[in-house]
Amino acid sequence: MFDDLRRFDTGPFQGVDWFRQLMDEFFTEGGAADIRAVPRGSYPMINVGRTDDAVRVYVFAAGLSAGDLEVSIQDNVLTVSGKREAVVPETEGEERRTDFRRERYRGAFSRSLALPDGLDVERAEARFRHGVCEVLLPKREELKPRRIEIRAA
Amino acid sequence: MNDVAQRDEGASVPTSREQRAEALLPPVDIFEQGNALHVIADMPGVTHESLSIEVDNNVLSLEGEVRIEMPEGLAAIYAEVRAQRFVRRFTLSHEIDTDAIQARIENGVVHLVLPKKETHRTRRIEVQPA
Repeated sequence: MFDDLRRFDTGPFQGVDWFRQLMDEFFTEGGAADIRAVPRGSYPMINVGRTDDAVRVYVFAAGLSAGDLEVSIQDNVLTVSGKREAVVPETEGEERRTDFRRERYRGAFSRSLALPDGLDVERAEARFRHGVCEVLLPKREELKPRRIEIRAA
Repeated sequence: MNDVAQRDEGASVPTSREQRAEALLPPVDIFEQGNALHVIADMPGVTHESLSIEVDNNVLSLEGEVRIEMPEGLAAIYAEVRAQRFVRRFTLSHEIDTDAIQARIENGVVHLVLPKKETHRTRRIEVQPA
């Protein structure tokens, strides 16, 4: 049921160490970057995959749930926007707090991504699970792969 | 530790260096408040079952496997997340009470509370008037 994200591996893998991540950004494998691509570590990160009958968009939006994320599509451009607040521990109210690291994104965000042509936006579905929003965009019937019968001569 | 922290002695924890290299580094917030350190980590797609938190030799390890459903035959068009796991480690200081660490995960966000030992708690010292 659950499968391997490494199918999304379209290039050199993202290493553990920040140095290599930094170098990857500066030397982007010679390939052209998507015009709307963002540096690694941006929030939320997005993967897009394709099957024979649909395009699936995975929005890695940790800390959000269904009501916090707005997904819209116009002219084949998908936009996800929302806002993520900083986590405040419930119990300790006014106690002094010392911050050591603040790496997590906080505040409003909006990201856009161009999708392939031929999607049936009317039948799009989205669901949220474990901080990942999956948007399913079925292909229009006429664009699905078709088997062509070969008749005997 | 609670049940999140205790599970998984190594069943899904990769051992080879190759596998480790393919892990993502989750962004974290760390702050100190109320006699405890708080670690908050973004690990989207990680579930209660696929999260493993361990303290070994004063090193805190957070590891989680991204569990998202992908249909057969899915081909990537565009990918920013290119690994299946999140891994991050921190060295703890000696005043952390490792037996009292608590963890929970909600919507792919891990929240760890690392209480300080009783003996190391902040004490207010009264200043006597002269």
